[in-house]
Amino acid sequence: MFRKLKLTTCLTVGLAMAAFPTAVFADEIVIGTATGQTGGLAPYDGPAMQGFQIAVDEINEAGGIGGKHKIKLISKDTRSDAAQTSIVAQELIDSGISVLVTPSDADPSFAAAALATDAKIPAFSPAASSPTLPMMGGDYMFANFPGDNVQATVSAEWAHKQGLKNAYVLYSPDTQYTTLPLYFSDVFKKLGNTVAGEGTYTIGQQDFSAEVTKIKSMNPPVDVVMTAAYEPDFPAFIRQLRAAGVTAQVIGSDGIDSPTTFSLGKAAEGLVFSTAGHATAGSALEGFNKKYAAKYGKETDTIFSAIGYDLMKVIEAGVLAADSIEPQAIRDAVANLENVKGVTSMITYKGTTGMPVRQVTLIRVKDGGRELVAQPSPTADLVPAPRMQ
Amino acid sequence: MTARTWIGTGGYVFFLVAAAVIAASIGGSIERTLIVFFISLIAVLGMGVYSGNSGILSFGHLAFMGIAAYLSGILTMPVAMKQVTLANAPDFLANAHLNFFAATVVTVIFVMVVALVVGIVISRLDGSSATITTLGLLVIVHGIIIGARDITRGSQSFFGVPRWTDITVAAGCAVLAIVIARLFKDSVFGLKLRASRDDQLAAGAMGVNVRMQRLISWVISAGLVAIAGVLLGHFLGAFSVKKFYFVDTFALLAMLIVGGMATVSGAMAGAVLITLVSELLRRIEGGIDVFGFQTPTLFGTTQIGIGLIILLVMYKRAGGLLDRLEWDEILLPRLAGRKIGPADAVVEAPVVALEGTLEAREITKAFDGLVALDKVSLSLKSGEIVGLIGPNGSGKTTLLNVLSGMLPETSGKSFIDGTDVTGTPAYRLGGMGISRTFQNIRLFSSMSVRQNVSVSALDKWPSTTSRAAGAIVDLALQTMKLTDVSEVQASTLSYGDQRRVEVARALALNPRFLFLDEPAAGMNREETDALMDDLKGLREQFGMGILIVDHDLPLIMKLCDRVVVLNEGHVIAEGAPQSVQKDPQVIEAYLGKKGSRQVAEILTE
Repeated sequence: MFRKLKLTTCLTVGLAMAAFPTAVFADEIVIGTATGQTGGLAPYDGPAMQGFQIAVDEINEAGGIGGKHKIKLISKDTRSDAAQTSIVAQELIDSGISVLVTPSDADPSFAAAALATDAKIPAFSPAASSPTLPMMGGDYMFANFPGDNVQATVSAEWAHKQGLKNAYVLYSPDTQYTTLPLYFSDVFKKLGNTVAGEGTYTIGQQDFSAEVTKIKSMNPPVDVVMTAAYEPDFPAFIRQLRAAGVTAQVIGSDGIDSPTTFSLGKAAEGLVFSTAGHATAGSALEGFNKKYAAKYGKETDTIFSAIGYDLMKVIEAGVLAADSIEPQAIRDAVANLENVKGVTSMITYKGTTGMPVRQVTLIRVKDGGRELVAQPSPTADLVPAPRMQ
Repeated sequence: MTARTWIGTGGYVFFLVAAAVIAASIGGSIERTLIVFFISLIAVLGMGVYSGNSGILSFGHLAFMGIAAYLSGILTMPVAMKQVTLANAPDFLANAHLNFFAATVVTVIFVMVVALVVGIVISRLDGSSATITTLGLLVIVHGIIIGARDITRGSQSFFGVPRWTDITVAAGCAVLAIVIARLFKDSVFGLKLRASRDDQLAAGAMGVNVRMQRLISWVISAGLVAIAGVLLGHFLGAFSVKKFYFVDTFALLAMLIVGGMATVSGAMAGAVLITLVSELLRRIEGGIDVFGFQTPTLFGTTQIGIGLIILLVMYKRAGGLLDRLEWDEILLPRLAGRKIGPADAVVEAPVVALEGTLEAREITKAFDGLVALDKVSLSLKSGEIVGLIGPNGSGKTTLLNVLSGMLPETSGKSFIDGTDVTGTPAYRLGGMGISRTFQNIRLFSSMSVRQNVSVSALDKWPSTTSRAAGAIVDLALQTMKLTDVSEVQASTLSYGDQRRVEVARALALNPRFLFLDEPAAGMNREETDALMDDLKGLREQFGMGILIVDHDLPLIMKLCDRVVVLNEGHVIAEGAPQSVQKDPQVIEAYLGKKGSRQVAEILTE
């Protein structure tokens, strides 16, 4: 009996403590983050929120946004689950936030976007790259990563400039992300080139012999192959392609911006892929990486931490432009932001449906290392409209 | 249904409604938490209807939840939205636009039909093979949902589903689910299925068609889980196929297993406990103010905490928090088994003219190379007591198993009243008048004595009403002098009493032919004598034929009209006890050649 009583007391005290949030000051802007700190999204949302925290600390140390609005951050874990995201987002909205940060994946962000729209609070997903999310998520949903269509446009324009003429794209209809090559295909054709074929694969397939044979037998020969495949499919594909003697330029996307790609040896040599940023000497990104190392005691191993930092810079710019911490005003200001200086890129929301226009970085694998090819912005007219299916 | 079932059900309903009212008045995230709790509860209850009553763990129920979420979502999504997001959907789905209720009904029926088809396969399998098959179901449906891109958007977000699930709808459905789950458990179907969970073989012998009972519960449970799927889809408004896969399967199974799979209260307790604990830890993990001190942020605390609770509960109570009894059975034990309506004071024996013959002709049973029975013929008339004796391994129990349909014969035929019943499954032979007890006691151990006996008494339900079955149970209990212990859990009784429960259970099947496999095993002389009187009484009272196997030769010799002696699968002697007793072959079989000479000398003196 006594033990039971003790347990009950603990539970009651715990709940009571949890029920009273700390006081909010009048000029304080409250930002709620409902992200996947555990579970499947943790590799993206974890670093993103670390970067976000660096920006928050920096701004608060400087006296708050515009010197008057200190940031109060309420962070909650969604366990990478859509239902939990919906609960947590509602909880944050109830506690009076001005801005909501949602997970880096479309389903839970959709669930949160609906609530944010009802409450008229702007919501941002740090690293979701699907342009469908901000488009279908409503006026209050914004993304913060180079969209799939933007990355594909930059890659296609680069390939065109290299004089490549005949492309083969390999995509998987399994996820939105792996259909990115279809955007490439659209842009590449718009630039007056040909696409010899659009092959498909299943995520996790790993045997690409049929596709490789097809690519090899193309006449006229294919001079560029574009895919958004990532591990474990991409390493398998490129090895099989090179083993078959195909020497065409291969272009990938940010899904292969991982240490594996640089350890593939000869097969990956010369490979070019698009990603969100590159830390050249003296660049803003290099500066951020130093701050990260200073705060967390280790080098960052992913671009997502810088992406998180940039997200806070976007929110800061929105608050400054609105000169208000009222959610509707922030949302309207963000929708018209132009050239916000992030550490990964200049970021523009004006004229978009919520998917920012960002510079995209093209990286070439050279001697097993990273070589910067270019950091262009896409030609706006060429960016294809988001695809639903 | 007993009064207690209704009180128990009323208790859950009160709790759920109270929780819903409180949550709705607080609103906001508490309300949303409660909605998710209700949805989880419905799913857990649904899984419990099958897994709890059949004892077969299912990993496949999330497949039904997924099908339901997608189908109902397609049916309720505005047509204009579908033109954008599901441009390639077939016309009949693209143009469908149903209201919430109609969509739910259509979806639940569809899922139950799917479950019926799948269930025909799964219900044939036992234990872990059934479990693995349900896992296969989950994987296959997951693959199909991804593959059916035109209507599901593959693994991409499926969005645009109207968000119609509010606290009222969720609470209403949870009430419905818990009423269905509890009534099912205490229904005739539930009783028979739980009997098969405790002992599948014995349930079969007592007339339970185990496959059919499993199939029924599987389909009902799929229907309940489908409701949870519809609600979840219309709560989130956007979801993808990964919501209906392993992570959520294990989260819901954890609730079911921690709470106790075998009871409805357990499903409820598990859902409440895990929800409460995760809500508490979740609030702490983000960092809170404790008397001005800010605790650090430690995401992951929730999962670790829940993991520890599962470990702790499993360590302390392997069957879960409420592993056997419903809350009302624990808190209101005195209401035990009290029936609605007047109790039947005097039990009248159903007077049935018991006539008939059971005949086995040249039964052979070979286990691979070993011939256990070799052309054994035997007959049993109603009103007759036949003893079947023989040394260990002579094939006595094998013969009983073949005659009661539990083992298929290799060759030979058996007849009841001249009708060929060879190959008839055990559960049907039960209805044809064959009943039995087992050498190793096989009671439905988690159930009360009354419930044990009810299983066989309800064999002919619904053509025999529950009330009539109740009278049969009372009579069987009275006959075997078990009325006083009728509400006691069968497995807690003494050995001798457990044997009596077995006989009572066999009697409640109204057998014309009763097989008793070593009923006196483990009994002392007085108990054996008392048993002998009881068995004689049975014959006088009911007039059935009794085939009794026992090693207690004095019992056999005094009790039986006729004795059949088996040795190494052959009938070596048959006849009146006195003549068999003197048969040199019998003596030799029991004592060997040398011993038999000595006995022969004694007998001739």
